[in-house]
Amino acid sequence: MAKTVEHYDVVVIGGGAAGLTAGIYCGRARLKTLIIEKALVGGLATYTNEMENYPGFPEGSTGLGLMELFHRQAKKFGVQFKLTDVKAVRLEGEDKVVETFRNEFHCKAVILATGGKPRLTGAPNEDKYLYDKGISFCATCDAAANTDKTVLVIGSGDAAIEEGMFLTKFAKKVIVSVLHDEGIMDCNEIAKGEALKNPKMEFLWNTTVHEFRGGEEHLRSVALKNSKTGEILDVPVDTCFIFIGYLPNTELFRGMVDMTRGGYILTNERMETRIPGVFAAGDVREKFLRQVATAVGDGAIAGYAAEKYIAESEMFESQVMGESPRIVYVYNAASAGDRELLGAMEQYEQCRCDLKLIKADVYKSNGIAQRLNVSETPCVVYIRDGEVVGSVACDRICPENIDALRRT
Amino acid sequence: MAEFELDCLGEACPVPLMKTEKKMAGLKSGDTLIVHIDHSCAMKNVPEWARKQGHNVEVEEVGDGEWDVIIEKC
Repeated sequence: MAKTVEHYDVVVIGGGAAGLTAGIYCGRARLKTLIIEKALVGGLATYTNEMENYPGFPEGSTGLGLMELFHRQAKKFGVQFKLTDVKAVRLEGEDKVVETFRNEFHCKAVILATGGKPRLTGAPNEDKYLYDKGISFCATCDAAANTDKTVLVIGSGDAAIEEGMFLTKFAKKVIVSVLHDEGIMDCNEIAKGEALKNPKMEFLWNTTVHEFRGGEEHLRSVALKNSKTGEILDVPVDTCFIFIGYLPNTELFRGMVDMTRGGYILTNERMETRIPGVFAAGDVREKFLRQVATAVGDGAIAGYAAEKYIAESEMFESQVMGESPRIVYVYNAASAGDRELLGAMEQYEQCRCDLKLIKADVYKSNGIAQRLNVSETPCVVYIRDGEVVGSVACDRICPENIDALRRT
Repeated sequence: MAEFELDCLGEACPVPLMKTEKKMAGLKSGDTLIVHIDHSCAMKNVPEWARKQGHNVEVEEVGDGEWDVIIEKC
């Protein structure tokens, strides 16, 4: 069956906190925006019952409740939603394509907000106790709820040990299950030294999770297996924190955008990836802190950046590249020298009625400069019949040299 | 590659899921079933079940609180 083709300005892949925020910004900027979500709108945050850190809700909020508000706000700005899996993407070039099993969505900009998921142990009954029922992946979220309780931490990497130490400020006891021999941990040496000294921390070496145990409602204990002796140890706990890694959902984009070894997408502070018009936001990015609050910041930037990118593309097509002869003066408004030359350029244009002058200020955005392959300012680019003929830069800018350019 | 429809409007869980399971069993690979639902719980469990089976799934909100679950049999 042929896929139905639809056109949008922006397609956001992923309907979590980052994707919804990007959608809100794009929708508000009157861009035709589509958010594609494979499961439920709201993303990972919907698994958190208590949302205590997110500002603006002094009484707290549930993850699901908060995400419903995000969803409603995006809809208010006309953002469209499709609840399905993305099968393939074509990100290079100006016309970008996002494919689902029934549709092909063509768009000018794509925002990757696919998030990720915590890696699981795969032990029996794990799925029964995820998130609210005793297995947590976030100490920042669930530490306070474990005040004076006993918790188990699985893992010995930086996240496991640092989060484990944070938990000691709340919990009565923090037991850490470590896969390796006594004294060997995956975390950095400083964290290791601190953790071994911490009186509230207890280590169970050479252990892996054998089984999660409990009733219908909540986890009661975790059975650990000693990998050397085969002995099974039942550890009664209130909450089990698993920190054995995080898996970003980036398989679809492998080889297209730059990623870390762990699969996180690399962006600059404008959320731009290596490919023009392709942005990434939220947990899927390589970043310092993964929270709804930071996802919202990413989403806002990505949405704004996408809007700017599209506006710039349109301006570039309609004004910069044209048939009649024109010169583009690429300058930095923050530079006094560049500003001085601006007057001279205007005079130059006035003396030549067949020539049009376009001013492109890189101070606000260097998108036009990039499209013209201009890396330093000031620079004059001569365009004829929709093609760049040549350019002169810096000290070489003078009427004679521009005249020479126009004669070529 | 035929297309079928299943009207589950006004029906509460687990009826839409049971009807969907039954209907899907009779479909051929590549056939599509469109299930009309207006019960938010079915909007969760019908797609979840279908995804677990390996089918292609898309949910479309056709009206306020009314959804079409589109399932392509694998």
